[in-house]
Amino acid sequence: MLQILANGIITGGIIAVMALAFTVVYLPTRIFYIALGGVYAIVPFLAWTGLQWGWAWYVAVAFALVIGVMLSLGCELLNHAWLEEKNASSGTHLVSSLGIYIIVVQAIAIIWGNETKVLRQGVDGVFNLAGVTLTQAQVGGAAIALLTIGSFYLWLQSTKLGLEFRALADNKNELALRGFSIQKLRLVAFGIAGLLSSIAALLVSWDVGFDPQGGLAALLLAVVASIIGGSQSFFGAVLGGILLGILRSQVVWFLSAQWSEAASFAILALFLVLRPQGLLGQKLRLESES
Amino acid sequence: MNYFLHLGIYACIYSIVAMSLNLAVGYCGLLTLAHAGYFAIGAYTYALVSVKLGWGFLPAVGLGMAIASVASLAVSMSAWRFKGDFFVMLSLAVQSLLFSLFYNWFKADADFGTWANLTNGPFGIAGIPKPNIFGLQFQTIGSIALLAAVLAIACGAICWLLVSSPWGRLLKAMRDDELVARGLGKNTRFVKMQVMAIACAMAALAGAIYAGYVSYIDPSAATLNESILFVCMILVGGVGNFKGPLVGAVLLIALPEVLRFVAIPDAIAANVRLGIYGLCLVAIAHFRQQGIAGEYRIE
Repeated sequence: MLQILANGIITGGIIAVMALAFTVVYLPTRIFYIALGGVYAIVPFLAWTGLQWGWAWYVAVAFALVIGVMLSLGCELLNHAWLEEKNASSGTHLVSSLGIYIIVVQAIAIIWGNETKVLRQGVDGVFNLAGVTLTQAQVGGAAIALLTIGSFYLWLQSTKLGLEFRALADNKNELALRGFSIQKLRLVAFGIAGLLSSIAALLVSWDVGFDPQGGLAALLLAVVASIIGGSQSFFGAVLGGILLGILRSQVVWFLSAQWSEAASFAILALFLVLRPQGLLGQKLRLESES
Repeated sequence: MNYFLHLGIYACIYSIVAMSLNLAVGYCGLLTLAHAGYFAIGAYTYALVSVKLGWGFLPAVGLGMAIASVASLAVSMSAWRFKGDFFVMLSLAVQSLLFSLFYNWFKADADFGTWANLTNGPFGIAGIPKPNIFGLQFQTIGSIALLAAVLAIACGAICWLLVSSPWGRLLKAMRDDELVARGLGKNTRFVKMQVMAIACAMAALAGAIYAGYVSYIDPSAATLNESILFVCMILVGGVGNFKGPLVGAVLLIALPEVLRFVAIPDAIAANVRLGIYGLCLVAIAHFRQQGIAGEYRIE
C-alpha cells in the first residue's frame, strides 16, 4: 500500500513538472501549447545521441536541454508571435501548435526510427526504505522534480522578473500599459516551458525509456493535471499532478495499466462537470472567463 | 484500375467522415476529437453482428448508427456547458474512454464476440464478410466502390438538405452567437444533441464501409492519431460550407499518392506523409484560416 503511494507520488512529481511547463505558457498567453509535447519527445533522443557520441552524461544532458529550450523559443518566435500580431483566435494557435507537434514527431521518427529506447545501461540500483523499495532512477527523479518545482517558485515569488510574470498572467493589457514588454515576457514563458518539459522528459526516459509518440500523452496528462488543480494558479498544476500520479498508480495496481489513460480522463470529466475551476481555482465572473 | 477503385473507396469513406465532422465543427463550432471512436463503433458493430450473427449490411449498419448516436450523448452533453479548449479536452476524454473500451474488452481464454471478450482487444477482428444487401453480394472491388459511392452521395445529399434548411441556419446562428439563439427561444441544447447524433451516426456508417471493405478491424482505428487525421482533413479543406470537407478529404487521399512518384524510401514514406499534414496545418493557421475552400474560421 505504502509502496503504491510512494510510486504514485514520484510519478506525480514528474507529471507536476510537465503540468507546470504547460501552465507557464497557458496562464499568461492562453495558448494551448501542444508543440510542448514535441519538445518533450525530442529531448531524450538528443541526449541519447550525445551519449552515443561518447560525451559525458552531463554534457549530453546540457546539450539536450539547450536544444529543447531553443525549440520552444522557436515555436514562439516563428509561430505564435506572428499569429498574435495578426490577432489570431485561440483555435488557430491550437491548430498551428498541433501542426508543429506533428512535424517534430515525424522528424524524430525519420531520423531516429520508431523503436523505444532507454537512456540508462544495465539494471538500476535499488534503495530500501521502511518497507518501500525504490529504484535509483525514481529517487533521483523525485529529488530533481522537487528541486525544479522549488526553484521555479523561488523565482516566481522573489525575483523582479517573477513578479512581472505573475502580473502578465493576471492582466496582460495593464502590464503593457505600464510600459513592460509583453513580447520579452512571453519569450521567458516559452523558454521556461521548454526547460521544464525537457527536464520532465529526461526524468521519465531515465526511468522507463522513450519513443517518438510519447509526447502527446504526456502533454495531455499535464493538461488534465493543471485543470484538476485549478488552471488559474501556478500552484494548482503541481497539486493536480501529484494527485493524478497517485490516482494512476492505484488504477495500474487494482485494474490494469491499459485503463490508466481512461481513468485520468474520467477524473477530468468529473472535475469539469462538478468543479470546473479546479481544486484551487476561484469562480470568475462570466465576462473574465475565457 | 483496381488501384483507382481502391482510392475511390477510401475517398468515399473519408468524404463521409469529413462531411459529418463538418456538421459539428463547421456549423456548430465544436472541435471534437472523439470522431475516430464513433468511426470504430460503426466498424466494430458491423464486424460483430455480421461475423457472429450473420446479419446483412443494412441492419448491421443501422444498428451501428443507432449505437453511435446514443453514444454521441457523451459529446453533446459536454457541449452543453463547455466551449473552446475545455470542450476539446472533454471530447478527448470520450475518445480515450472509447479506445480503452475497444482495447480492454478482452479476455484471452474466451471466444471473441462473447460478453467476456467482445472486441478481441489488441488482436482485432479478422475475416469480416463483404457487404451483403438482401442476398446481393458485394464481393468484387468494383461493386464495393459502387456501394461506397452511392452511400457517400446519399450522405452528401442529406448534409446538403440539412444545412440549407432552416435548421441549418439555426446551427450557424448558434455557432456565431449562442446567447442570441437562446434568446430567440431556440433550444440550443437539443440542437447540439441532434447535430452530434447525426454526425456520429454518419461516422459509424463510414466505419462500417471501412470494415466491410478491409475485412479487418482493430483498436488502432479508434486512436487519437486517427481523430487528428480527420480533423486535419477538414481544417485543410475548410469548414462551414458544403465543398470544404470534400476538398480536404480528396486532397489528403491524393497527397500521399502523389508522393509515390517522388523517390522517397518506403520506410519513411508514412512519416513524410504525416509530416506534410502537419505542415499543412501550420500553413493553414498562418495564411488561410478558413481552409482552402471553407467559410468559417475556428475560434
